[in-house]
Amino acid sequence: MPRYELALILKAMQRPETAATLKRTVEALMERGAVVRNLENLGERTLPYRISKHNQRHTRGGYFLVDFNSPPTVVSAIKDHLGRDIDVIRSSILKHHVANSEECMGMIPDSTEDKLTKMKK
Amino acid sequence: MAALAMAAKDSGRVFCLFAGARKGAVSSGAVASWRRECSSYSEQLSSNADMPVPMDNPYKEPPKKCVLCGVAVDYKNVQLLSQFISPYSGHIFGRHITGLCMKKQQEVAKNIKRARQLGFMSVTYKDPTFLSDPKVCSIKYPE
Repeated sequence: MPRYELALILKAMQRPETAATLKRTVEALMERGAVVRNLENLGERTLPYRISKHNQRHTRGGYFLVDFNSPPTVVSAIKDHLGRDIDVIRSSILKHHVANSEECMGMIPDSTEDKLTKMKK
Repeated sequence: MAALAMAAKDSGRVFCLFAGARKGAVSSGAVASWRRECSSYSEQLSSNADMPVPMDNPYKEPPKKCVLCGVAVDYKNVQLLSQFISPYSGHIFGRHITGLCMKKQQEVAKNIKRARQLGFMSVTYKDPTFLSDPKVCSIKYPE
């Protein structure tokens, strides 16, 4: 099952309410057949811009990161479910990025001759 | 042009002939040595050890690396991404300002746009807490 990353921004709430929301989210994920690997808290910060969602204008939010493995067919269903949750300001599911372990070759100057011959096609 | 070249060739050969004849008279070696000295064949036989060995330029400098060579760029790392945007307008700087290689510049641009959309980074300004970061881009503002 491919690995995904859920960048979640929750409404700025008290600790027990945030915990309840997170529990709800993770349970929803697991119900749809996702295997949650890790849940990270990136802290509560001021949002970079005011976000209006569910008839409310938010200025602060709690940032969370959920690492999970799931079948690709389920991803749209999860997104749909998160869109309907009142406490979620913004959610985005991305593919888990694998950092390239190849060594960077450095800035090799382009040969203008090669460029010209390529364009001649 | 062709005629001149032919004349030069002939005169060269003639000169070689005379030089060869002179040397031939001095050394008591091969009889037909004057013919051989004109061609480059003799050079290959003698002095093999002195010839330059083909090799890469030993003084060649390693290719220059950009600032982010070896650094992983992430949309969550807003402080790193903010180093490549304008503090006044939030515009992403071009490659001629940041000095990054093509690959890293594209990665940075993609991640900045991603961070903006996901609600991690602002669009129109640079976060005030990052304003005193070390300057990586060589932008010159008009006085």
